[in-house]
Amino acid sequence: MPNYLSNRKPDFTPHKINCGSIMAYQFKGTLKDELAAKHLTKARAIDLLEDMLVIREFEEMIVKLRSGAYAPCAGYDYRGPTHVSIGQEAASVGGCYGIDAPDYITSTHRGHGDSIAKGCVAIRAMSNEELRARVPAFKGKDADLLEAALEDHIYKTAAELFGKEDGYCRGRGGGMHIADFTVGHLGANAIVGGGVPISTGAAMACRYLENDRVVCCFAGDGAYANGIVLESLNWAAMQQFTNALAKDKKFGIPIIFLILNNHYGMTHRTDDEVMGVSSMARRAAGFADNNMHAEVVNGMDVLAVREAVNRAADGCRKGEGPFLIEVNTYRYYGHSLSDPRNEYRTKEEEEAWKVVDPITTFSQQLLDAKVLSKKGLEEVIKRVQDRNARACSRAAKAADPDPADVIKYMYTDTSSVEVPAPHNQVKLVKALPEIKRVDGQLTYRDAIKEAMIQEMLRDNRVFFYGEDVADYGGAFKATKGLLEAFGRRRIFNSPISEAAICSTAVGAAMLGLRPVVELMYMDFALMAGDAISNQAAKWHYMSGARAEIALVIRASVGGGKGYGGQHSQTLESVFAHIPGLYVVYPSTPHDAKGMLKAAIRNNNPVLFVESQLLYGVKGPVSEDDYLIPLGVADVKRVGSDISLVAWGPAVLDALKAADQLMTDHKISAEVVDLRSLVPLDMETVLTSVRKTGKCVVASQAISIGSFTGEIASNIMREAFDDLDAPVIRVGAKDGIAPQALCLEQVFLPTADDIYKAALSIL
Amino acid sequence: MVNAIIMPKLNQSEDDCIIVKWRVKPGDKVKKNEILFEIETEKAVLEVESFYDGTLLKIVVPEGVATPVNATVAWVGEPGEKVPDVAPPPPAAAAPIPAPVAPAATKTQTAAAAPVAAVAVTAPVPFPSAAAPAPARRQAVSPRARALARNSAVSTDSIRGTGPGGRVVEKDVRAYLDSKGYGQLRITPAAKALALREKVDILTVRGTGDSGRIMTGDIERSLRERPRALSKMRQIIAQRLTQSVVTAPHFFVTVPVDMTDLLKFRHVLKTRGAPFSVTDFVLESVALSLVEFPAMNSSTDGKTARWHSAVHLGMATSLEDGLVVPVIRNAQDLSLAELHAAVVALAGKARDGKLLPDEMTGSTFTVSNMGMLNIENFTAIINPGESGILAVSSTVQTPVVRDGRIVVREVMKITLSSDHRLIDGAVAARFVNAIKSKLEDINLWKSLT
Ligand SMILES: Cc1ncc(C[n+]2csc(CCOP(=O)(O)OP(=O)(O)O)c2C)c(N)n1
Ligand SMILES: [Mg+2]
Repeated sequence: MPNYLSNRKPDFTPHKINCGSIMAYQFKGTLKDELAAKHLTKARAIDLLEDMLVIREFEEMIVKLRSGAYAPCAGYDYRGPTHVSIGQEAASVGGCYGIDAPDYITSTHRGHGDSIAKGCVAIRAMSNEELRARVPAFKGKDADLLEAALEDHIYKTAAELFGKEDGYCRGRGGGMHIADFTVGHLGANAIVGGGVPISTGAAMACRYLENDRVVCCFAGDGAYANGIVLESLNWAAMQQFTNALAKDKKFGIPIIFLILNNHYGMTHRTDDEVMGVSSMARRAAGFADNNMHAEVVNGMDVLAVREAVNRAADGCRKGEGPFLIEVNTYRYYGHSLSDPRNEYRTKEEEEAWKVVDPITTFSQQLLDAKVLSKKGLEEVIKRVQDRNARACSRAAKAADPDPADVIKYMYTDTSSVEVPAPHNQVKLVKALPEIKRVDGQLTYRDAIKEAMIQEMLRDNRVFFYGEDVADYGGAFKATKGLLEAFGRRRIFNSPISEAAICSTAVGAAMLGLRPVVELMYMDFALMAGDAISNQAAKWHYMSGARAEIALVIRASVGGGKGYGGQHSQTLESVFAHIPGLYVVYPSTPHDAKGMLKAAIRNNNPVLFVESQLLYGVKGPVSEDDYLIPLGVADVKRVGSDISLVAWGPAVLDALKAADQLMTDHKISAEVVDLRSLVPLDMETVLTSVRKTGKCVVASQAISIGSFTGEIASNIMREAFDDLDAPVIRVGAKDGIAPQALCLEQVFLPTADDIYKAALSIL
Repeated sequence: MVNAIIMPKLNQSEDDCIIVKWRVKPGDKVKKNEILFEIETEKAVLEVESFYDGTLLKIVVPEGVATPVNATVAWVGEPGEKVPDVAPPPPAAAAPIPAPVAPAATKTQTAAAAPVAAVAVTAPVPFPSAAAPAPARRQAVSPRARALARNSAVSTDSIRGTGPGGRVVEKDVRAYLDSKGYGQLRITPAAKALALREKVDILTVRGTGDSGRIMTGDIERSLRERPRALSKMRQIIAQRLTQSVVTAPHFFVTVPVDMTDLLKFRHVLKTRGAPFSVTDFVLESVALSLVEFPAMNSSTDGKTARWHSAVHLGMATSLEDGLVVPVIRNAQDLSLAELHAAVVALAGKARDGKLLPDEMTGSTFTVSNMGMLNIENFTAIINPGESGILAVSSTVQTPVVRDGRIVVREVMKITLSSDHRLIDGAVAARFVNAIKSKLEDINLWKSLT
């Protein structure tokens, strides 16, 4: 019985579509009102000011450092970006105070404020034990603990900007990639818009884990022109999360899209120039019938931002997400310090915004409400200045990373060995689909399915999505029947948003889930270039190994079907060039099962390449729960005269060529299946080549820039004196896959090409 | 408090900036965030604001000067405060232009400083291009075959390649080894190790051990037989003498010189404390004769002849591993005593390798004396650029017919080599006889000493 069948009849009744209205600047509260209404305490009000001051002081330091004018760091030469957010402090602080301390954020290249605020909120909420754990070196009395932890927070932030080992990300990330996963800060992102799908994936994970958490996604107005951001908005608003498809689990994605509208993307004006809407909040109307509860708030008023975010967070916790809030704010400085603002905006505009400066206006409110005296205010300012000075001068003098560690933290060597409760408790909705085994043999397709089933049964943190993977079972039916057994919580259809498919997986992985996603054709991986290459691959390293991105991207390679240039590419070499990613490509059903299971348990991001040419190929596959370690090549046929090194479908061609060489010339060829490009098992290849002295490297990819060249070059370096002939590469013709049958037949490499290449060096 | 205003580093890649305009002058009040000056970076013109309230006390860097980032450009403080006395930073320099090189001058210096050049026969002449033939196309040998040959201590030079394009591949090396009976070859481990280390092809070594076993000594012998590069000096000798033999048609004229009287007189002089050598007498006789025979003190390029008005006598001098020709300048003007002094000085310098280049160039005629080496007669090769060379042999007691009687005399043969392009037989004959008669004329020597 199918899960659901659509039954929508034609209906052309004339009617009017109402896009609703979006409210702006409705908050009228003053500090006095808010105190009276007990929306916050006096102490909390001072915290709001203090944290805005911390941000301002910190960023003014960055400006001064570039002119040698910050006395506590005299002589220190700061290198790195200078994207200061001075003027926007109310947005950062209001946003972080609007959600709860354990909630999550993602941030941007202009993210010092968000990062500082998130840490301050978290630290202020910590118990003494938690504070002690955070600053174990501090041995003073409890009363001074908070102060020590705040100073440590600024120290680690500055140390990260200064590229120090003590930085939040060990100096690997820097200010544009700063993250502190221990307080729910899932990272600033130097890819404009790059954090938005990560937030969305994290929020999806909150929904999945039912942990009552919310994600506040800070991103600029400029980012809201970026495709991945629009994909994310659509993703978060998908009806399947809240309608009948969700059955008893109707719960909207708990995310707040907080648009930091400072009116500029670098120097272009989002108003009146590069966008068609007068208010960024209108974006929401394109993605959800409820306009994502969108509203516009005064971003220079910390109370207004806090109130709106707080309301949205409450809504999220009730399953009403997603929410979208446009925060109208301003950055006083340019995009960076090398930006002469006078080329694109007036002095008068800048002066007008400074009149509504969030810190001066809120300071005045504190004085007016008698929360602080003038003297008290000066004390707060002094406290902040002194604390920042202590922390930053210490950071400037802190130890640099060891240059020998330049590529340390690229990969983690951990994997999921044991599944912790309750994740080992898996409830099936229905019986598992039957997998037909004939004489102990399975197709490659069923081997993948069996691997998926075994891993989803083992660990409920494993879940799966992609285009048409649910009811339909995937374009190549590798997951047919899984939806019925595991339910839509664990398997669902995604929109046609390859970038979001891969990037949301990164966000979900950051929260400890182990997503498996499918790309229907590997060609579409190029749509997800940023997600795979800049996000999935880089976060482990950029976070200084504080995050593990355990996810699997299953990418299916076309070719040989007359589908032409955009559905036929073998692209593993492109991704093998991206450090931080594992890239594997099994050639047999046995390997496909064992390697997919290993990939799902591995804590690195794995690009798992499958071939449509192989889905129907049968081979012996044990029913057992076995793993094949990633990064171990396999000798598929032993020989002594020549080595044929290949991966993917080329392995089968190499085996055929080896038979032919034996039949025709009594030449004994050894076939090495690389299985895994990254990590690379060169030793097995070298052992073979040292024995035979001759080598052909073959893959289905075109040869320009192919990984076959990497193998050939390694052989040359490591086994030069063992070579009796040049290493020959076999691949597709160096061109674009054609549609015409006669053309595609000569385009793709064949067993005969490998056979001829072998003979040419024998 | 006086605060330095620093040239900001607004752009990571910026090393220096130019202040295009000062917005304030010394004495002006400035406020925090007020614009002080405008700078030009590679990206744009930017305004730089003050971080301080106060008075602009002094401008250190004026407009229009490229200034390194982080340099102090001005001072702000209270009126009347003293400004630290720092010099403006040196303007950022344009890319340094390499100092012009005078190739000629450099060359000269190198030549003078290099002692190798000083032992050359004469000033070094560039090698003709034939000396460096175009490299022959290398026989292709696969790395594996090369390694097998190397590890077997055999050369691949005579292995025929059967791989693609005629490349020598592993199986060719194996076939070659088999054909040479490599498997039966007997060699001691130490000899094998030495052969491997020194890359000796053991198939070319004759074994002298029992049943033909190759011993260490055999490898060592083979190593000694290996061609070695000639020293720089020998290469120059080879090149110049070959040039002489090829371009100057030599002919030779020999006369015996009766030295009996002169040797006696030499002994007398020696007891008087004037230790002249046979060389001195020969050189003096040659110098005097050259003045009489200008053709012998000439040179030719085959088209023109050039007479040298001065006699610069080359004196071939043998060294440990070669030969140099120091030159006695203006020998025609020297007394016998001066000539003697010059010979002693130059011979000493030649032995010590201390001759300067111009002490070895410009000779117009050369004398080669092998008298001390116990030979009867020899011919010498003309130093290129000269018309002759005189070969002087040992003085030997010889039965000679005098006035119809056989008597024993001290006879020294001298042989003149002449360049037939300039000199004919008659001239050569007269010239050697002129030398001979001078050496035999004891009155001449009495007048000269
Ligand atoms: C994908 C990508 N494109 C371009 C850039 C260069 N860039 C960095 S910040 C920025 C402007 C971003 O504007 P906005 O999102 O409004 O953030 P703001 O800088 O105003 O905080 C641009 C174009 C980038 N980092 N990433
Ligand atoms: Mg912006």
